[in-house]
Amino acid sequence: MLTEIQEGKALNPVVKYITQEKINLYAEASGDFNPIHVDESFAAKTPLGGTIAHGMLSLAYVSEMMTSAFGQSWMSGGKLRAKFKEPARPGDTLTINTKIDCIEQKDDVSYANCNFECRNQKGEIIVTGEAIVKVSSDKK
Amino acid sequence: MPDKAISYEELTPGYKFPPATYELSDSFVSKYLKAVDSAGDGFVPPLAITACAIAAMTKSTPLPPGTIAIHASQELEFFKLVPIGATIECHIGVAQKIARGKMSMLILEIEVFDKGKEKVQSGRATIALPT
Repeated sequence: MLTEIQEGKALNPVVKYITQEKINLYAEASGDFNPIHVDESFAAKTPLGGTIAHGMLSLAYVSEMMTSAFGQSWMSGGKLRAKFKEPARPGDTLTINTKIDCIEQKDDVSYANCNFECRNQKGEIIVTGEAIVKVSSDKK
Repeated sequence: MPDKAISYEELTPGYKFPPATYELSDSFVSKYLKAVDSAGDGFVPPLAITACAIAAMTKSTPLPPGTIAIHASQELEFFKLVPIGATIECHIGVAQKIARGKMSMLILEIEVFDKGKEKVQSGRATIALPT
């Protein structure tokens, strides 16, 4: 958990290595067996040229980073907006980075806004977006 | 689980998928945490709940063989902690369907409630599909 919540504070990055095994595990857990994720021979014949990870798998890593930093505040009051820019593929190493860009007050409640990026080992943006979490309430 | 598959053409704005109920068992959460390579912290990860909601939709709308659907964007808001073992009900509706050249953008609204009918999360997913 973050001990110091202030603008500019970087969150601990999350680094994950994508494998076909992890994609298959995610398919089993989520029930999403779209062949573009799990059928290597099918995926090889598509314009994508091979299997890709579920977008929600990459997004799960973003949520893990926010949970590590903000704990239950994230899980019970977080907001997430994400755009999937490029697919993550088996063999990719994904690194998710963010910092607290600003802290805003709305109705006596403080919210930390964090613009995040998930990049692969080539520096390509895989997912980008914004995560917002309530960090304090001044309401009496 | 929805038991009747519908076609993509039937997915027009206002369409509501049949609500789907899931028990977020310890074994489901363990399987999810293993898949996302995470330790967990005693509650159901919010995105595990989203995964259930999206699964409810994909299972009731099987794509034609060879079709590639691309998850283009996702918005989510979490409202309460969900304990392991809880039962949730997922509601998904079609908000918009936009034709863009050879692709269609399907915008889906997601709402998830617990057994006490309290909202635990809501969101919007944009899925790109060939027309």
